[in-house]
Amino acid sequence: MLSRVADNLYWMSRYIERAEGMARMIQVHQSQALEYAQNDDQLEEFWQPVLQSICAENVHPFEDGVRKIGKTLIFSSSYENSIQSCISLARENARMVRDQLSEELWLELNNIFLFFRNGDAEDIYNQGSDLLLDRISRFSLIFQGLADATIPHAEGWRFHSLGKYLERADQTSRMLDTLNLRKKEASRADLMSVLRCCIALSAFRQQFRGNLSLQNVGSFLLFSEDFPRSIRFCVRAIDHSLHAISGVPAGTFSNEAERLTGSTLAMVNFTNWNQVDSKGLHKTLDELQATLIDIGQRVFETYVLLPSEIKSLGEKSSTQFSQAQQQQ
Amino acid sequence: MSTTSQFKGYTTDNFFDEMFYDGKKLQARAHYEKIFQRIEHLTETEISDRRQQADSSFLEHGITFTVYGDEGGTERIFPFDLIPRVIPDSEWRIVEDGLRQRIIALNLFLNDIYHGRKILKDGIIPEEIVNSSKNFRPEMVGFDPPQGVYAHICGTDLIRDDQGSYLVLEDNARCPSGASYLLENREIMKRAFPQTFGGLSVRAVEAYPDLLLQTLEYLSPRKSQKPVCVLLTPGVYNSAYFEHTFLARQMGIEIVEGKDLIAIDSCIYMRTTRGLVQVDVIYRRLDDDFLDPLVFREESMLGVSGLMDAYLKGNVALANAVGTGVADDKVTYAYVPDMIKYYLDQEPILSNVPTYLCWRDSDRAHVLENLDNLVVKAANESGGYGMLIGNQSTVKEREEFARLIKAHPREYIAQPIVSLSRHPTFCEDGIAGRHVDLRPFILYGEDVEIVPGGLTRVALKKGSLVVNSSQGGGSKDTWVLRDF
Repeated sequence: MLSRVADNLYWMSRYIERAEGMARMIQVHQSQALEYAQNDDQLEEFWQPVLQSICAENVHPFEDGVRKIGKTLIFSSSYENSIQSCISLARENARMVRDQLSEELWLELNNIFLFFRNGDAEDIYNQGSDLLLDRISRFSLIFQGLADATIPHAEGWRFHSLGKYLERADQTSRMLDTLNLRKKEASRADLMSVLRCCIALSAFRQQFRGNLSLQNVGSFLLFSEDFPRSIRFCVRAIDHSLHAISGVPAGTFSNEAERLTGSTLAMVNFTNWNQVDSKGLHKTLDELQATLIDIGQRVFETYVLLPSEIKSLGEKSSTQFSQAQQQQ
Repeated sequence: MSTTSQFKGYTTDNFFDEMFYDGKKLQARAHYEKIFQRIEHLTETEISDRRQQADSSFLEHGITFTVYGDEGGTERIFPFDLIPRVIPDSEWRIVEDGLRQRIIALNLFLNDIYHGRKILKDGIIPEEIVNSSKNFRPEMVGFDPPQGVYAHICGTDLIRDDQGSYLVLEDNARCPSGASYLLENREIMKRAFPQTFGGLSVRAVEAYPDLLLQTLEYLSPRKSQKPVCVLLTPGVYNSAYFEHTFLARQMGIEIVEGKDLIAIDSCIYMRTTRGLVQVDVIYRRLDDDFLDPLVFREESMLGVSGLMDAYLKGNVALANAVGTGVADDKVTYAYVPDMIKYYLDQEPILSNVPTYLCWRDSDRAHVLENLDNLVVKAANESGGYGMLIGNQSTVKEREEFARLIKAHPREYIAQPIVSLSRHPTFCEDGIAGRHVDLRPFILYGEDVEIVPGGLTRVALKKGSLVVNSSQGGGSKDTWVLRDF
């Protein structure tokens, strides 16, 4: 498969997963804010850690006033991770690899793009933001379902899965991190919100019978073996995709991406809450996010760049590079 | 349910009408009889439902083109009209012979000017015409392209005059586009309007992608293995990007951008997740200027450094060859009938539109005196740009063109305003006559292959003669009927 095509599939999938994560994050927090923040100052204080966790505190999300923050995060054209930007970028990537996609998959993505472009999305938002945000989450779930059901589970699909799970692991870690970034100790409502952002509320309840604590929520989202949005689950899926691509047996590695993923998988497989607690949740998550970025970068180096180009990258840091990538 | 005819109030206004031989009594030509009857009694709702169905199919499937210099909705659908253009097979066969004759002559001409230059030495075509053509590529002199063919894919635009005779308006021998619309129009027509096909034997067009792939594979320098063919696109922002992905997908070949290819030791490789894979044939949808920054435009980021070197060493084939633009220069065009006589010793089957060449003093004088009765075209522009239609222009526009012609006589030609044939077309206020042309696609590989018909383009604006998609044109499905 062409290297660029692998790259496009990877980013298409990441942007869609990101749009979904954003939609749920906005929806959950808007709803929580209704009860917990009365005036603009409180609202700003409420949103600050959320924005910080998704690295959006410097993008003027309050440009239209704090009460319109949801709208900004959905529609802003200057913020590259707004839902509308994510959908446009996903479609742009998809347009470059249309021959790899099923007609059904393309139609689904193109329809949501047209829905934003012709202004219907904004009309629906004005009727009620939940109507729109629900639709975006549903679109992503249908899209990911179609990807599994209508494209061959061959190399291209593996890159698609890789993008999806890397993004999802990143999102889960960021949502969990909002608990550290609040000034006060995480409240019951904060814990509920984090679970809701990860569609983890019912799965969590089944396992912990409503025993809502930072330890339980943290352990669940980091270590759950079978919940599809836990970090452990996602890293295992990344590991699996990488080995399916290279053909190298699990438990060994043939490139840096595989080595980093393997060691992260070992970490989440063989760590418990006490160790996280003694290291600090924020530090654990911070390191994890850095490793996820590094894995993405190594995948790019292994499968997309020529060896000569990697050398010429020189001193460019991996974050600079990944930022450049995301704006392609 | 209304029973009035959809053609109520339709007039042919003294133009040649594709459907009606008698404009007053609205008598349809025999090959249009069935279509006419079916459309005549459709209800408004039936029409608008089908139209909507067709339009949304195009948009949802992303069958769009990009308009340059348009900030807002840069992606548009190519408007599609539901009334098909019909050509009797007996008529088509003559056109087909004419096109075959023409592409063979054009290729002999290209071979000649890059080798012995006999036609120039024999004084049939002035040497300075070729030497001054912007698209003449000195790099190609003495080079033998794979299988000796230059223009493998050619889109020749045909029009019909007020007598219904087919005339060649221009040849597109560089990167003609539109084949995907020809294929998609048929698909969408079958879905939106299946009953119109009933009882008519419409010749299929679906073989085009297979024929195109055969044409490409025929050029491969490596005969020992299945050729690796790719389609080279300028990228997602190109106006014809949809077509590029469409054709690549239909042929099952990779669509690549310049950055996906790399030249190593005078061979071209594509970069894959499994390492480098050697490429044999490149169907390039990129102009010569952008192919290789080492040879042509330095600043081009779209091409591949080292591509020309690999090509000239015979390690990779390009379709079309480099330097075919000399053949579709509008000044060269005027000499195609002479080429046919010179190389093939035959009379041209398809005539040209009479053409005045502004570099000839006598022609130029005539053109400058009659600007309001002529169409003036820049010799090397396409897409309906750089054009003056005399009777629809302002004094200021004519003055501007007069100035341009005097400054660069070689770059302009002029033709009488041909009253293009018209075709019934759905418009705002019901069915009305609109001007049409026809672009068949000619493939020249081991044999010359032409899928029946071509892309019919229609000028949707009332009275307009410009059918280009970038200038408000639309298209129709084109049917060649076997039984007529």
